[in-house]
Amino acid sequence: MATLSQTQSRNTSDQPPSQRAFHVRQAIIYGLLLFGAALVLIPFLWMISTSLKTQDQLFVRTIDFIPNPIVPGNYIEVWERLNSISPGMTIWRILGNTLFITVLAMFGEIFSASLVAYGFSRFKWKGRDALFALMLVTVMIPGIVTRVPGFLIWRQLGLLDTYDPLTWPSLFAWGPIYVFLMRQFFMSIPREIEEAAIIDGANTLQIYVYIMLPLIRPIMLAIAVLSFQGNWNNFQGPLLYLNTPERFPLALALRFFDQSLSREAPQWQYMMALATMMAAPVLAIYFLAQKQFLEGINVGGVKG
Amino acid sequence: MDLSVLNTYLPTLIRYVLVAVALAVIMLIVYRVQLRFGINSEAAAGRALVMPWVIGFLIFNLFTIGASLYLSFTEYNLFRAPEWVGLQNYAELFDVSAAPLESAAQRSSDALPPRHDEIVRVTIGDGGFVLGARESDFWRSMRLTVVYAVVTVPLGLAGALGVALLLNQKVRGVGLWRVLYYLPAVLPAVATALLWRWMFSSTGIVNASLSPFINFFGLSQPQWLSDPSLSPVLFIIISMWGIFGANSVILLAGLKGIPQELYEVADIDGGGEWAKFRYVTVPMLSPSLFYNLVTSLIGALQAFEVAAFIPTPAGAGTFLNWQIYQEAFNFRHMGMASAMAWILLLIIIALTALVFRSSSAWVFYQGARERS
Repeated sequence: MATLSQTQSRNTSDQPPSQRAFHVRQAIIYGLLLFGAALVLIPFLWMISTSLKTQDQLFVRTIDFIPNPIVPGNYIEVWERLNSISPGMTIWRILGNTLFITVLAMFGEIFSASLVAYGFSRFKWKGRDALFALMLVTVMIPGIVTRVPGFLIWRQLGLLDTYDPLTWPSLFAWGPIYVFLMRQFFMSIPREIEEAAIIDGANTLQIYVYIMLPLIRPIMLAIAVLSFQGNWNNFQGPLLYLNTPERFPLALALRFFDQSLSREAPQWQYMMALATMMAAPVLAIYFLAQKQFLEGINVGGVKG
Repeated sequence: MDLSVLNTYLPTLIRYVLVAVALAVIMLIVYRVQLRFGINSEAAAGRALVMPWVIGFLIFNLFTIGASLYLSFTEYNLFRAPEWVGLQNYAELFDVSAAPLESAAQRSSDALPPRHDEIVRVTIGDGGFVLGARESDFWRSMRLTVVYAVVTVPLGLAGALGVALLLNQKVRGVGLWRVLYYLPAVLPAVATALLWRWMFSSTGIVNASLSPFINFFGLSQPQWLSDPSLSPVLFIIISMWGIFGANSVILLAGLKGIPQELYEVADIDGGGEWAKFRYVTVPMLSPSLFYNLVTSLIGALQAFEVAAFIPTPAGAGTFLNWQIYQEAFNFRHMGMASAMAWILLLIIIALTALVFRSSSAWVFYQGARERS
């Protein structure tokens, strides 16, 4: 850091005023960092705190982050309540639905994006760059434009209220951003690696499976966590296509609770318990795989 | 274990596998056909590999966009076949009016043509004017969405840049801070939207912590969720939480990529902190800023979850994306909804094109200069 080397060189020549300036600067920086951390953490902690309160503790004028008493039972009761108005909405069923959608869509996305990106990066063919540009342009299309006719197609196919619209279309590389990220990664692999394999008589499929897949593992992991997060948190798709409460993923269960049991008098402790449960797996993966998370975002950002 | 559960998973799983197999077969056929026509195997393989996206594009993008355009010229309620009405949906949407107010007290409905409702009312002295429209809900939502995008995109970008600059200082545990600061981007949007509604409710934590100030200045409690004039403010405050998160992480990576020699040169030339920021940091960071600008603009115009979980009071409008969703799936006006969606699409394209146009003036690509 240029500014830092400057201050350091002054420090060595023993000039107290600049040292004071350095300390003031450091104090401001850490002060701002802590302030930012508070802004991030307070809503987050409030969500967890609310989820552990009783109904009476909710509307007290004082702000208590640590509930007294702590009521972990909300996490179980919320499911009993959901189950009571809509039999079949058990925690295992809803979690299973969410995982089913998320895992199928995630695998489809990773697998198809890697194939398409491979085709867009390691092979020369006429029309390649134009087609790739077209793919990037599709990022601009708001989902809602294609959603109305999309809904009609699924209706025609008789597949409304099934998981089909949310899962297998992912096999068609529906996330242009992921293709873009993978392509960036493919382009950084030296061409000699393939040429050696071609001389040895390997075909395209063999090169992909035995050479490319191991090489692109880091970006695949990065996309896997981003894609898991995206599909787990997805709301618009399930909202459009699913009607039966017991087929809902967590995002819709949350809305269902909000619209039914919480309609007259909001039961925030239960809704925050649901929200925390929904956030927990994503947070766990984030903390375990933060490197992949942040790398995935950066490949796109720096080179975009 | 209840076997009926499997009945909802298994058919989808089978179709998933079948589609995957069908795609593989199509790719193989595309490859073979090209070879037969004498195309070299490299080009044939490349084209075969991008087939999944090409087919997806044709079905899920090109066809649906065409269908959406067609539907926008029809009236369609799902029960009867679409009825061609030409430009009627668009004509209704653009049935807007402006009228002068004779006095500041005059009701908007008296000044406007019949069936038109107020969108914007401006009083100047003892007069003014009022804008109205037949589809006033749509225009109120347009107003909210555009105000939201125009305010939050630059503000959010500046905030994200501030966070990135802060994290780029020599601080201990930068990894830890970065992990913490990215947290808002990881949480499900539905969970945070609901959380905000709880925090901003009249008895929520926001008003509770503001109450000392409110009492001190003798103000009344802000009703974030029921006061129409506070709706845009509320959504803008909420969106500011996003200055932490993806944008600042991307900008931080951009900052780390700026060669230190440039700052050293600036030092030798006697440049101060501001000069370094203005003439080294901003130009070198401009590609990342540009990327963020485009993605956050497209994102802001399509806000959905906040609108779904935070109902706005009457007269405030909501986000266009949610408005269109309701028009289509609550009121079953598929034709009108498609027309609205097309207007949104055109706005996004126009604004993005504007940003791209302006980019040549301020985005600096390393190595681009040698070519010119």
